[in-house]
Amino acid sequence: MINIENLTKYYGNNRAVNHISFTINDNEILGFLGPNGAGKSTTMNMIAGYLPMSDGTVTIYGADITKDPLKAKRNIGYLPEIPPVYPDMKVKEYLSFCAGLKRVPRGERSKEIERVMGLLKIKDVSGKLIRNLSKGYKQRVGFAQALLGNPKFLILDEPTVGLDPNQVAEVRAIIKDLKKEHSVIFSSHILSEVSAVCDRVIIINKGDIRAIDTIENLEKSMASTLVLHIKVKGDKDTAASVIGMTKGVKELKKIEDEGSSIYAFTVDLEGDSDTVRDAIMSDCLKNGVSILEMYTDKPNLENVFIELINRPVKKNGLQELLDEIPDESEKTTEKKEEE
Amino acid sequence: MFPIYKKELQSFFYTPFAYAFAALFMLLFSLSFSNGIAKLEGSNTWAFSFTEMFYSVILYFIFLIPLLTMRTFADERKNGTEVLLMTSPVSVLKIVIAKFLANVTVYLFMLLGTAFFPIITAMKGEVIVSQLICAYIGIFFWGTMYIAVGMFISSLTESPILAAIIGEVIMFVLLFIDDFSNTAFISQYPKVQSVIYSFAAQPRFAYFSEGFIRLSDMVFFASVIIVFLSWTYMTIEKRRWNRG
Repeated sequence: MINIENLTKYYGNNRAVNHISFTINDNEILGFLGPNGAGKSTTMNMIAGYLPMSDGTVTIYGADITKDPLKAKRNIGYLPEIPPVYPDMKVKEYLSFCAGLKRVPRGERSKEIERVMGLLKIKDVSGKLIRNLSKGYKQRVGFAQALLGNPKFLILDEPTVGLDPNQVAEVRAIIKDLKKEHSVIFSSHILSEVSAVCDRVIIINKGDIRAIDTIENLEKSMASTLVLHIKVKGDKDTAASVIGMTKGVKELKKIEDEGSSIYAFTVDLEGDSDTVRDAIMSDCLKNGVSILEMYTDKPNLENVFIELINRPVKKNGLQELLDEIPDESEKTTEKKEEE
Repeated sequence: MFPIYKKELQSFFYTPFAYAFAALFMLLFSLSFSNGIAKLEGSNTWAFSFTEMFYSVILYFIFLIPLLTMRTFADERKNGTEVLLMTSPVSVLKIVIAKFLANVTVYLFMLLGTAFFPIITAMKGEVIVSQLICAYIGIFFWGTMYIAVGMFISSLTESPILAAIIGEVIMFVLLFIDDFSNTAFISQYPKVQSVIYSFAAQPRFAYFSEGFIRLSDMVFFASVIIVFLSWTYMTIEKRRWNRG
């Protein structure tokens, strides 16, 4: 288990990280989310023992990073923002150097290097000079370095930056797989990435933690204001009254005439969307209105994220923050109507 | 510690660097050598000796050693690999020592190349071996001192070129500090003069080249090396605290 308590960093008078505390459990992937300049890299550098902290403690499996750095660092694999590779070395040479640096026993080194090269699919470039590799390969070589010696705790600072979509998917799969044996903290400014990979998320901005919660909770709280789109064929007034009367429909927001008696309804829902949709479906059919199309908007996590990081409040629970967020779809509707 | 030492050596010997470096040194060495023996012709008072020649060699070091040491830490910072070293279970002190030893190894390699000249000379003439060995010990100390200086400068900057230029200036000052203390201006203040003179390395080198091995001289060089290596260590540690 990794304990971060009261971690603070000042650069002169400028406070980059402000008294943040959290815990990373065993076999957990913790997402570290924030815009550029939020203090993500500074925090990670402090956890990895590269930057000394102005205040606070970092304890990695019982070893304090400042008091017992050598012991603490043995459990850390760190991939910084810029992969720490030597351009003049060959990939295998570099990994062998890193294995030595991380005190992988001499007899196991070549096996260990083979293992990480296989994991990150860089075997085909093992004899190449790192200087000649593409950004994506360099990133993967840097990642391989972090995995050498199988450290229990992995710190990955934006590991998918600079990779093509195919590689991004591969690296995400690797990270997910790492969960079996490792604890991972993983930073990104891309929300979808974090939600695809992480168990819990920390949202940070300007050095303050804005929220710590699981992805499920985050999505659930968004799901309370679902927007349903229905396209029907039939009588407009009947359809409107049927849909408007259905239990679970909060508000009928918009009706658009699409010609040949086809109408598009936009409806705000509350409660469980499945039962509401069933009810609308059967009610419409009973009243001779046929449904051509029906779908709900996916919860827009990006908007939550943007709202959270731009909000000056702090230390509130995520739920509270979410409740205060004005409904995004409402705004867009208004805009459209103005047009 | 050993992996870093090995990696440093690889970066010198797996690239043309160490060989080009040694070759350049040999070229300069042979120039002084041929200059020295050219003077023998038509002169009865001039006697060629390697130890005399070593004075010009330490002047070349001002330009050579910074080439060796300029990348030591500056490159690590430029490549972003400093993070790798700092987050590995190796202490900063060991990193400094490993890099120092690697630089000294390359230096020994190039010094070894020059043994070629005394060997040839011994075949055709006469070489005072004991004096030559003393001179080699002296020049070894001188070079390692410069390496420590160069490493310290390299730890201060991110640009290898800048590290080389500043290193040359400091080494130049170190070489001529005794001449400076003997200027008429400084001589007016005997106390100041004696303080400045006590930092002069060249008179101590002179003892070696004359065939004396004195403990005090060795302690002097060792102290300078330790001081500069400690400063290197402190610079790296301090920069981590100040980074912003």
